[in-house]
Amino acid sequence: MTDAAISTRKDMSERKLGMLLLLPAAVLLSLIVLYPIATLLFTSLHSVSNANPQAGEQWVGLANYARAFDDDRFWHSLWQTVLYIVITVPGALLMGLGLALLANKPFTIKWPVRLGLLLPWALPLVFCGLIFRWFFEYETGIVNDLLVRLGAEPLRWLSSPTLATIAICITIIWKSSSFMALMLLAGLQSIPKSLYEAAEVDGASKWQQFVEITLPMLRPAIFVALIFRTITAIQTFDIPYAMTGGGPGDATETLAMYIHKTTLDFLDFGYGSTLATLMFLLSLVATSGYLKYTRRSASRSGED
Amino acid sequence: MGFNFNRKAVVWFAAIIVAVNGFFPAVWIFLTALKTETELIKSPITYLPQAPTLANFETAFTAQPILRFMWNSFVVASLSTVLCVLVSALAAYALTRLRMPYRNLIMSVLLAVAMFPLISLMVPLFKVMRELGLLNTYLALILPYAVLSLPVCTLVMASFFQDIPPDLEAAAMIDGCTRVQALFKVVIPLSAPGVFTAAILAFVNAWDEFLLALTMMSRVSMRTLSVGITLYQGEFAFPWPLISAALIIAIVPICIIIAIFQERVVGGLTSGGVKG
Repeated sequence: MTDAAISTRKDMSERKLGMLLLLPAAVLLSLIVLYPIATLLFTSLHSVSNANPQAGEQWVGLANYARAFDDDRFWHSLWQTVLYIVITVPGALLMGLGLALLANKPFTIKWPVRLGLLLPWALPLVFCGLIFRWFFEYETGIVNDLLVRLGAEPLRWLSSPTLATIAICITIIWKSSSFMALMLLAGLQSIPKSLYEAAEVDGASKWQQFVEITLPMLRPAIFVALIFRTITAIQTFDIPYAMTGGGPGDATETLAMYIHKTTLDFLDFGYGSTLATLMFLLSLVATSGYLKYTRRSASRSGED
Repeated sequence: MGFNFNRKAVVWFAAIIVAVNGFFPAVWIFLTALKTETELIKSPITYLPQAPTLANFETAFTAQPILRFMWNSFVVASLSTVLCVLVSALAAYALTRLRMPYRNLIMSVLLAVAMFPLISLMVPLFKVMRELGLLNTYLALILPYAVLSLPVCTLVMASFFQDIPPDLEAAAMIDGCTRVQALFKVVIPLSAPGVFTAAILAFVNAWDEFLLALTMMSRVSMRTLSVGITLYQGEFAFPWPLISAALIIAIVPICIIIAIFQERVVGGLTSGGVKG
């Protein structure tokens, strides 16, 4: 047998082994993601009400989508979700960048800073929502206490649509900035010190160093962090659920909360699936952005 | 000298801001948990509890089966972690160490599918689990949670596997190991830190999840901790000292985990994110 033939045979067996090793992931993803996606699309074209199971599943074509188009509550929840995205993603980035720059100082004792970044990350979102709801209470909350001490009027944070939205955004930003900070910190630590030393010799100010060295070098880390955050922000549920339950009225309700209510409270599976499909399309955009980016950076770094 | 002092002050200042920002909420609910309901409605509010009491912690254990919630969370989180780490280790190995056609494409597809927002699949997943008769069982959460952490675990382990010299594996195979044996006897033990990091990330993700847990487990005895905590609130009033005590009890396990493994977690989060 020639060498080439041996190596082809080895390649074939490696390929088979590879397929075998990927099989568990494929099975799991088919059961938990692909099959559900198929049923999601199917159900979204039907009228399925769990409140009235005898009626069965009736084909209604795009009627559910038309209904969503005319549904003010859907548009409001979509708008609210987009609002949370456009406020909290840049907000968390700025705060996370600030925290990362602070945490990048040469500490002798590292654990308080490290845990200070890890604790908000590890805290479940619902807990975070509950804790901040407690902060924003009208009479007994610490936020109003501080406002009064500063000579301002206490605010009814959670019973006004605007203030509740602000309170929720503050909470989301606090919660997600720690993850941003951890990702950006790794980016900061990979910047060679010699760049700063050279800039110092050239007489660049701290601010110039930040704009000319830090930000450009952080760009990949910032980009990945932003997309990760956007993908999770599309699914915003836990924090508004714990803080306002979507209220006052349904002013702070997100798309995820509306889907949850439609399906599990109103038991309208058909329409719920339509709403979920629309959310899926929204997140597809963000995910494809991520993939495009990773593929580009992979080819740039010369990987096969 | 003055310059030195300033520099030190800046470092201290930075450390204090980061630590206070991270710890403040936990500290505040701890203080709240030590207060009585009557102290709570005082105006202006008190910062430190005037007559510290542990009664709220006692009530937290009796008002709801919080230890049961914790057990449920523990079972679901650890089993889904084992499943996720195993599945993603095999996938990461295939995609980094084997000569496979289209492996970058497969990796992208795997990540794209796994990054899918599970929330939008809540409805069909609920139906799948109902058809399989898995509602109110641990499996209803273990399977989706394994998928939840599949992308990050695969990325973390792939980045560790890549760093192992191929010669070591070849040597093991010359000694008579099969490829799969080499994976379990050489590659995985050598990437132990990576495997470990992936496991912690998967565990925390599963421990924190709320919406699927709320959807799949309607029986109180099957509730996980994140959902169980919301059961402490009354119909109209929020008994904050009691909720705070329950929250403190609930965050203790996760605090212990991150305190012990802090370096690993930081390293893992960053290698999964930035290299990915």
